[in-house]
Amino acid sequence: MGLQAYLTLAAIVFCIGLFGVITRRNTISILLGIELMLNSVNINLVAFSRFSGDVTGMVFAVFTICITVTEAALGLAIVILLFRVRRTVTADQLDLLKG
Amino acid sequence: MLLTLSWLVPLVGALLLLLVGNADGRRDGMIRWLALGVSLIAFAVTLGVWAAFDPASAEFQFVERHSWIPQFGIDYFVGIDGISLLLVVLTGFLTPIALLSSWGSIERKVKEFSIFILALEAAMVGVFISLDLFLFYVFWDAMLIPMYFLIGIWGYDRRVYAAIKFMLYTMAGSVLMLVAILGMAYLHSAATGSYTFDLLKLYSLDIAPQTQMWFFLAFTLAFAIKVPLFPFHTWLPDAHVQAPTAGSVILAGVLLKMGTYGLLRFSFPLFPEAAAYFAPWLALLAVIGIIYGALVAMVQPDMKKLVAYSSVSHLGFVVLGICAMNTQGMQGAVYQMLAHGVSTGGLFLMVGMLSDRRHTRLIAEFGGLKTVMPQFTAAFLIMTLASIGLPGLNGFVGEFLIMLGAFRWAPAFAVAAGLGVILSAVYMLWMFQRVFYGPVTHEANETLTDLQPREWAGVLPLCAMALVMGVFPTIFLKPMEASVDALVLRMQATQTVQVEIPVDRRPDDERRLTTVTERVARR
Amino acid sequence: MMDTPFNAVVPMLCVVFAALAVMMAEAFRGRDEQMALGGLGIVGLVGAAVSSMLLWNRNASSFGVIVADNFGLFVTMTLVIVGVLTIMFSSVVVRRDGLPAGEYYALVLFAVVGMIMMATANDLLVIFIALEILSLAVYVLTGIRRDDPRATEAAFKYFLLGAFSSAFFLYGIAFTYGVSGSTRLDRIGAFLAAQSMSDSPLILVAIGMLLVGFAFKISAVPFHMWTPDAYEGAPAVVTGFMSTGVKAAAFAAFTRVFLSAFEPFSVDWAPMIWILAVATMILGTVVGVAQTNVKRMLAYSSIAHGGYLLVGLIAANDVGKAAILFYLLAYAVTNVAAFGVIALLGTRDAANDELRDFSGLWHGRPALAALMTVCLLSLGGLPPTAGFIGKWYIFSAAVSAGYYGLAIIGVLTSVVSVFFYLRVVVMMYMEERDPGLAAPAHVGGVGMVALVASIVVIFYLGVLPTRVLDLAAESISTIF
Repeated sequence: MGLQAYLTLAAIVFCIGLFGVITRRNTISILLGIELMLNSVNINLVAFSRFSGDVTGMVFAVFTICITVTEAALGLAIVILLFRVRRTVTADQLDLLKG
Repeated sequence: MLLTLSWLVPLVGALLLLLVGNADGRRDGMIRWLALGVSLIAFAVTLGVWAAFDPASAEFQFVERHSWIPQFGIDYFVGIDGISLLLVVLTGFLTPIALLSSWGSIERKVKEFSIFILALEAAMVGVFISLDLFLFYVFWDAMLIPMYFLIGIWGYDRRVYAAIKFMLYTMAGSVLMLVAILGMAYLHSAATGSYTFDLLKLYSLDIAPQTQMWFFLAFTLAFAIKVPLFPFHTWLPDAHVQAPTAGSVILAGVLLKMGTYGLLRFSFPLFPEAAAYFAPWLALLAVIGIIYGALVAMVQPDMKKLVAYSSVSHLGFVVLGICAMNTQGMQGAVYQMLAHGVSTGGLFLMVGMLSDRRHTRLIAEFGGLKTVMPQFTAAFLIMTLASIGLPGLNGFVGEFLIMLGAFRWAPAFAVAAGLGVILSAVYMLWMFQRVFYGPVTHEANETLTDLQPREWAGVLPLCAMALVMGVFPTIFLKPMEASVDALVLRMQATQTVQVEIPVDRRPDDERRLTTVTERVARR
Repeated sequence: MMDTPFNAVVPMLCVVFAALAVMMAEAFRGRDEQMALGGLGIVGLVGAAVSSMLLWNRNASSFGVIVADNFGLFVTMTLVIVGVLTIMFSSVVVRRDGLPAGEYYALVLFAVVGMIMMATANDLLVIFIALEILSLAVYVLTGIRRDDPRATEAAFKYFLLGAFSSAFFLYGIAFTYGVSGSTRLDRIGAFLAAQSMSDSPLILVAIGMLLVGFAFKISAVPFHMWTPDAYEGAPAVVTGFMSTGVKAAAFAAFTRVFLSAFEPFSVDWAPMIWILAVATMILGTVVGVAQTNVKRMLAYSSIAHGGYLLVGLIAANDVGKAAILFYLLAYAVTNVAAFGVIALLGTRDAANDELRDFSGLWHGRPALAALMTVCLLSLGGLPPTAGFIGKWYIFSAAVSAGYYGLAIIGVLTSVVSVFFYLRVVVMMYMEERDPGLAAPAHVGGVGMVALVASIVVIFYLGVLPTRVLDLAAESISTIF
């Protein structure tokens, strides 16, 4: 398989994530969508790295994984906090701030 | 140094007042005296400038130049010539009067009021003396802030609306001028390799006609709003009517002149070709303004609004004179600026006094004041006649010169403007008649007090000035002569190259005619 | 200072150590023991400022990915000022609202670390890490009032869109890496310059994605949706911090990436940013007019200011680059101070950030009203304040690059923006105090000192900008 295939795969995963973020009402699902988007990039990075024989991309992917994990952790923490304060995880009901 | 002092004195005075503790208004009296003292010192400084001014020279005098922001060739560069000299003196003259006028009417937050008036004076003087476009713009915009607060805090019922309208209108015009200023600095750097905002260097900058048009429009829009030229005048009645008396006096007396001064100093000489192209159009707007202002003034029930619209009309004359671009027109324009400052400033002052007494400015509320307040009536009559342009009073000289200049340029405009003169007599005298003659129709008017000594202190200098300017116009025409000639020559030099001019405008001729008008005026 | 490979990261290390010290101090603090944790942070920030001054003109570089060039150092100084002012305002707020001091200051300091890192990074990977460091800290700061439903909602929205934009940003980086084979900005620039004529679609995708990522971070329209909500919901002092610090850091990186690495493709991205800039300036001001909450209004104003900064980026000449730096500084000081006033006016139970909460402020707190007015006038770009010189600098950049249209849109929108700044002034000066409102809070001590200091800076930059203009001009000479 060539580079093209990996890039296409990443793009598809990215778009699925994007679609999820945009259409989902449940905050957890939105978080999942964002995770998909972030991780699709890892496919790209590794693929580029593999096909150019340069290790930077791999290293980058490791960093990205770390960062996405922290983001996910923080995101879930905020969702839990939100649920405690507002008793809801539905994005549509978060409408205190408008204008 | 003297020139810097003329704007630094009021500013430092304002900052000093800031330090005076006056939380509960206990030191109001002291603050009033302090502010008056500062403004009188500033006036003395401007008089000192006049005394040391050399009327024979057309060059800028008292020039000071210090590097300010060297990266962009911005200097602290000030100086005056015959045109700006008298406007600076006028500013110095009117500020103490404005402060005096507030002694009876401003009781709240006297300290802040005085600070804003002094800051305003500093900015206004700064506008007139700046020879660096950046410096000019800084003063021009900074001036808005104190005026905004003066109208907004101490004004009448709809003060907030008027203040914001004033601010936004003026800013909308001036920001476009800012772009044009930047454009010119850029063109200068493209031509010579260095940025400059130096007016004198930009005078000699060669700008393509097409670009000139745009820049001229940007500059002129800013000034036309300030003047205010029809149809940009709608902020003026609001601002004038809502402003406190002191604000109106300064607004009419000095602020409006900044617009016409800007035309004379920047729009026309910086872009002579565009000016020649647009002059008839500007003059057309000016004439419309003259007649429209007069007609609208006629139907106003509110005295302050009437005087405000009369300003639109009078300032139209000034613009017409500038557009004529000959010596009479320009001299008349400058003279009319001064005369209008004195007479309209006086009218606003005295309308303010009436309004302080009766808390209304509606003409219908008054009548027969002549018997109740004879001194006030006499002073008001002088101001009314001065505003109409009766020979022997200050309004006449300027209007006459302008009409003469306009007639030599385009008789049609002069004729139309002449109609404005007649109309101005109609609305002013009609108002005078309704307010002062006839029986006392309203009970409250029977007990009105006449002019108090403190009020005389404000009114008397204005009346005296109206007379002096009407009888001895040479005192004021002399210093501006050389500068106006130089300006006219400059305008014509480009015109003779670029466009055909219908009338022969040799400066010698002009000189002779001026002396004729002076003689007429003196009579 | 000796020349070691660590030189360039010294300013950052100062702040890192301060943050660690704050965390340690918090951990070993007795139950009711009061500690000047903020002071500790200020010491670290001052250390960063001093080391930046020492590094000035030395062009130090660490590990090839962090460069302490003058550009980065100028932004670092700006960030230090933002940090110090924020901590000073916070010291009042933290005590008043009973916020967890240790966590709060540590997060502020770590956010500053991320910002400094972002401003001095010379590698896309490092920029991304820096972006995450500062974002994660700011997400938490936004929601630091855990029991406040609005703050929590703001934190959540901010987080979602922040993470969302990070994905775009990361995607852009991946493509850039794929095309050029490197994440180092200098190498990318060299690579692209060598073959700038072959318009590879991949690189355009990369530029587009990075642009979207940056546009989110600087809240350019149409990627501004998170800004008003996050700014309104967060505590005012945090809003001041993130509206200036995050924006400054993001703009520094934005400028560095687009004007060094992607310079060869400026024909492609300049029109895109042109549209962004115009939309940002217009929407920021027009929507700002309709707001009744001062924090939200200032949020839209900060969107508009992002638009002005973009104008400098489009101009892309020396004037423009220096103008961005000067404008960032002027805007940062002014905005932090303006939000500082709002923060100081709040109480533990009420944010007091509605327009009517400012009514008649002049009568009760004349000094505070005057200081707020100066900030607002500076934001509106009136002389003689820092904002005026900043705007003037930006627009002269636009004019000298021939973008007259942008300059005209810019000045006209700034007039519109003056309208809504004046609404606050009108409330403070020209309305009587709403009788239903409690008397405004007393402000004293550190908060007032910080405010007065900011006002002095605002006037200094407005009246005697020469020195700082020189520094800004020197800053851009080193990198591009």
